[in-house]
Amino acid sequence: MNRQPVQRVVIAGGGTAGWVAAAALIKQLSPLIEVTLVESDEIGTVGVGESTIPTTRTFHALLGIYEQAFIKASQATFKLGIEFENWRRKGDSYFHAFGSVGKSVWMADFQHFWLEARNQGFGGDYTDYSLEAQAAKANRFETHEGSTIGYAYHLDATAYAKFLRGLAEPAGVKRVEGKIKKIEQHPETGFVTALELESGARIEGDLFLDCTGFRALLVEQTLKTGFEDWSHWLATDAALAVQTEPVGPIVPYTRAIAHQNGWRWRIPLQRRVGNGFVYCTEFMSEDEARARFLAAIEGKPLFDPRLLRFKAGMRNKSWNKNVIALGLASGFIEPLESTSIHFIKIAITRLIQNFPFGRVTDAVTDHFNRQSRREMEHVRDFIILHYAQTEREDSPFWRRCRAMELPASLAERIALFRDHGIAYQGNDELFRIDSWIMVMLGQGVWPRSYHQLARMMEPGQLQKALSDLKAGIAQQLSRLGDHQTFVRAYAPAE
Amino acid sequence: MDRPAVRRVVVGGGGTAGWVAATALVRHLGPLIDITLVESDEIGTVGVGESTVPTCFTFHKFMGIDERAFMRATQATFKLGIEFKNWGQVGDRYIHSFGTIGTRASWMAPFHHFWLQAKADGFGGELGEYCPEWVAGEANKFITDDTRPLAYAYHFDAARYVQFLRGLAEPAGVKRVEGKIRQVAQNPQNGFVDAIVLESGERIEGDLFIDCTGFRALLIEQTLQTGFEDWGKWISTNSAVAVQCMTDEPPIPYTSAIAHQAGWQWRIPLQRRVGAGLVFCAEFMSADEAQAKFLTEIPGKPVRDPWALRFRTGMRSRAWNKNVVALGLAGGFIEPLESTSIHLMQIAVTRLIEYFPFNGFDDALIGHFNHKSRREFESIRDFVICHYHQTEREDSPFWRRCRTMEIPDSLAERIALFRENAQAYQTQDDLFRIDSWTQVLPGQRLYPRGYHHLARMMPSHELRQTLANMRTTIANRVAKMPSHPDFLNSYCPADDA
Repeated sequence: MNRQPVQRVVIAGGGTAGWVAAAALIKQLSPLIEVTLVESDEIGTVGVGESTIPTTRTFHALLGIYEQAFIKASQATFKLGIEFENWRRKGDSYFHAFGSVGKSVWMADFQHFWLEARNQGFGGDYTDYSLEAQAAKANRFETHEGSTIGYAYHLDATAYAKFLRGLAEPAGVKRVEGKIKKIEQHPETGFVTALELESGARIEGDLFLDCTGFRALLVEQTLKTGFEDWSHWLATDAALAVQTEPVGPIVPYTRAIAHQNGWRWRIPLQRRVGNGFVYCTEFMSEDEARARFLAAIEGKPLFDPRLLRFKAGMRNKSWNKNVIALGLASGFIEPLESTSIHFIKIAITRLIQNFPFGRVTDAVTDHFNRQSRREMEHVRDFIILHYAQTEREDSPFWRRCRAMELPASLAERIALFRDHGIAYQGNDELFRIDSWIMVMLGQGVWPRSYHQLARMMEPGQLQKALSDLKAGIAQQLSRLGDHQTFVRAYAPAE
Repeated sequence: MDRPAVRRVVVGGGGTAGWVAATALVRHLGPLIDITLVESDEIGTVGVGESTVPTCFTFHKFMGIDERAFMRATQATFKLGIEFKNWGQVGDRYIHSFGTIGTRASWMAPFHHFWLQAKADGFGGELGEYCPEWVAGEANKFITDDTRPLAYAYHFDAARYVQFLRGLAEPAGVKRVEGKIRQVAQNPQNGFVDAIVLESGERIEGDLFIDCTGFRALLIEQTLQTGFEDWGKWISTNSAVAVQCMTDEPPIPYTSAIAHQAGWQWRIPLQRRVGAGLVFCAEFMSADEAQAKFLTEIPGKPVRDPWALRFRTGMRSRAWNKNVVALGLAGGFIEPLESTSIHLMQIAVTRLIEYFPFNGFDDALIGHFNHKSRREFESIRDFVICHYHQTEREDSPFWRRCRTMEIPDSLAERIALFRENAQAYQTQDDLFRIDSWTQVLPGQRLYPRGYHHLARMMPSHELRQTLANMRTTIANRVAKMPSHPDFLNSYCPADDA
C-alpha cells in the first residue's frame, strides 16, 4: 500500500475530461495539492459531448464560474430538453424536458392525478404541465437571478476546454506539453509512480487521473483493469460528426432524430450547429452513413464529417490503485441523453469529496467504484429504454432492438410503470421520476393502472387543480422572450 | 365513483402494528377501501416498542394527529436521543442524539471533518456541543413549537398508544371484529388468502390481508410459508424481561441503553413511570439470572410481575407475499436498541399506501416493495450490529464473541470508510443519518485515522473562532429553554386514567 500522503495529482490527457478535472481540483483543493496536466497538441480531442444536462450548472456554481463569461467563451446556447423524433414510430415525436412536471404529493406523484384526469376525459398531455417543454416548443427562454426554470447548455467542447484551461492555469495547474511514452509503476504495489514523456521528461505523482480517452493508457493499458461490454444492449458503435452553418432560429433544445440504424443529433450553438450521425456498423457501411447523413443535415457543412468508433460499456473499476479514469477512459454511453460531460463532473466531484489525503484504501476505492457503477448502469438502462421500447419494425436494427433481452433493472421499471404508473429515482440515479415518465410515455408505455387518490377529490376539484397548473405555466411562459434574442443580448459569443 | 378491484383490506391482529396500519389506511385511503381489523382481547400484545425515532413525528403529522392529545393519552415524554453506557468499554458513555451536528459548511465534507481538524489542532470541545439536541438532552431541557426547533421523537406507553389509535380509527370507519383466528382460507389455484375464519365460525373475506399477528406470523408464514432469514449469528440476543416501574424521578428526554455482560438494559422515561427491560443472550445468561439481575437493578417498584419474551432476529424473506403484507413482528424483528420497531411498521404502511395495489397484484410492484423493505431492514440491522461488534469489551464470552464475529460486508465497508477517512453516508432507504454514524462509531471507540483536509485551507485561529461561536450560540439557545419536566407539565400533562 502506498503510505505516502497524496499531494501531487497528475492528469494524463487534456480534452474536456482533463480540463474539467484540473479546473475543479485546483479551485477546490489548491492549497493542499499540486496539479499537473500533461497533454499533446498533436492528439486531437473527441468533441461529441456538446449537449449537457442541468447538473452542469451546479458544477459551475461550485467552481464559481460566471455564467455569461462561460457562455460567451464557449458559444453556448440554452437547452430545455431533448426532442425525440421517430423513436416510437416514424413520424412520432415527444419531448424530454428538464424541470419538474406538475405537482406531487407524498402519497403519489403527479402522473397519478393526470392519469385519472385522462381516464375522466380531460387533462391533455403530460408535458402540458412542464414549463420547460412549453417554453421549448415556443422557442422561448430567459434566465435571471431567482428564476426556477430548469435548463442546461449546448456548448462547443473545444472552446469549453480552452475556457476551463484559462481558469485552471492561472489558478496554479501546471500544463506540460508532450506525448506520454511510458508509464512507470511501483514494482511491488503496481501503483503508478510517474509518466515518462517522449521528450524524456518524467512527471511523478501520487494520484493519477486517466483522461486519455478511449486509449485508457493508465487504467487499461497499464493496469489492465478490464472493460465490461454493453454492446449487446447498445449496438451503435460509430458516429459521424460535423459542424454546419446555422439555418433557422436557434432553438433551446437538442434534437435526436432516429433513423433506420440509429439516430442523429442536432445541437444548435450560437454561430453554428453541431450534427452527428450515430449508427451500427453491422447494418450500415460508412459510405452509406455518410451519404445519408449529408442528405439529412440542413446547412452547409464546415468540413468533412469525422468518423468516430466506440463501444458501449464501462471500465470494471473507474478507480484502480492510484489511478482514476475520467471521461471516455472510464466508459462510454452514447450521447443520446447528453450524459458524457455529466459523468466527468460527477466523478471529479466525488473524487474531491473522497480525496485520499492519507493513503489510498480499498474502502474508499470500493465505495467510489460502487457509486460509479450504479450511476453508469442507471444511465445505460435509460438509454436502452429508447431503443427497446419501440414499435418500429422497419429495419433489422429496430427489429433486433425490439426483441432484445433487457437488464432486469430496466424490465422491472417498465413493468412498474406499465402496470401501476409508478416511476422512481433510486440512489445515485441521475434521471428523475419525471424523466422516466416523459420517455416511457413517449416510447409508448401507457399505464394500465395508477394510484387512485385523485378519486377521493371532490367533483370538479381535479379539473380545477389541473387547469390552475396549466394557467400558471401559461403565465410564466408569457413572461419569457425569444431564446435567440435573449442569448444574443445576454452573452453573445466572442 | 368506481371502486378499486382491491378494496377489502383485512388486518389480522391488533396490537401496535395492527392499529398503526388500520389508522393510517383509513385516514389516507378511507373513501376507497373497506378496512376490517380482527383481534382478540384474549391474546396479549408485545409492548416493548415504547421508544421511537423522529420519523414518528412526520407519520403523525401526515395523519393529522394532534400532538398534545396523543401525548396526554399515552403518558408520552419527548426523546432527543439515546444514552449508551458501557458499550465501547465498561464505564464509557456516549449519546446518540437526533438532530444535526454543526452546519453543513461545505459540499465537500460534512461538519465533523472540520471538528476532527480542530481536535488535531488541540481545540474544538466535544462533538455533541455542536448539536442542540445533545446539549438540551444533557441539560434536561426541551421546547417545541410550530417551528420545531429541535428534532425529537417520543417515549410512550404502547398499550395506551394502541387505545389512542383505535379511538381514531374506529370512528373513521375501521370495522373491528373480536375473535380468534382459527383458520386462514386460501384460494386453491393461486394460493392467495381468501378469508380469515374465526373460532366463532365467522368468515372474513378480503382482497388484501395485513399480517399483524406478531411472531406467530399466521398468514405470511404459517399459511404462505414465506421463509425467515435468521440474523442470530450477528445479533445473538434472543430474550428479554420487561416491566414498568413507579418513579418519582422527573423524566429525562432520552432513552438509556446500558450494556451488561450478556446484553443490555433499557430505561424509557414516561410521564409517571419508567419502562425497563433487560435484553440478553440465553446462551450466556439463564432466565433466572437475568430476572434476578433485572429486579435488583430496576429503578423503582414494578407495577406488575415482569414478563419474559423470546425472540429471533431476522426478517421475513418477503414482507409482501401474494396478497399478504406482513407488518411489525410478523415482518421481522430487530431488537429495540435503536428504537426502530415502530418506525418499521410506520414506514411499511406508508409505503403500502404509496404502492397500494388498486388493480391487483403483480411481481413488479411486490418485488419493488420487498426490495425497499429489505434495504431498510438490512441498514438498521447493520447499525445495531455495529454497537455490538465495534467494542473493546473483552470481559465476558458474549462480548468476546461479538468482537470477533464476522459482520456483513455492507457494515464492514462502512466501518472501514470511517476508520480510514472519517466518512459516513446515508442512502435513500437508510434510516440512520451521517450524524448517527459519526456519533455511534467514535462512541464505540472507533477513531478515524484520516479525514478530509478541507479545514486546513482556513487559518487555524479562524477555525477556532468559528467553532467557539457555534458552541456558544447553541449553549445560549439551550439555556433559554424550559426544563423537560416543566415543559411536559404545561404542554401535555398525562390524562388521569
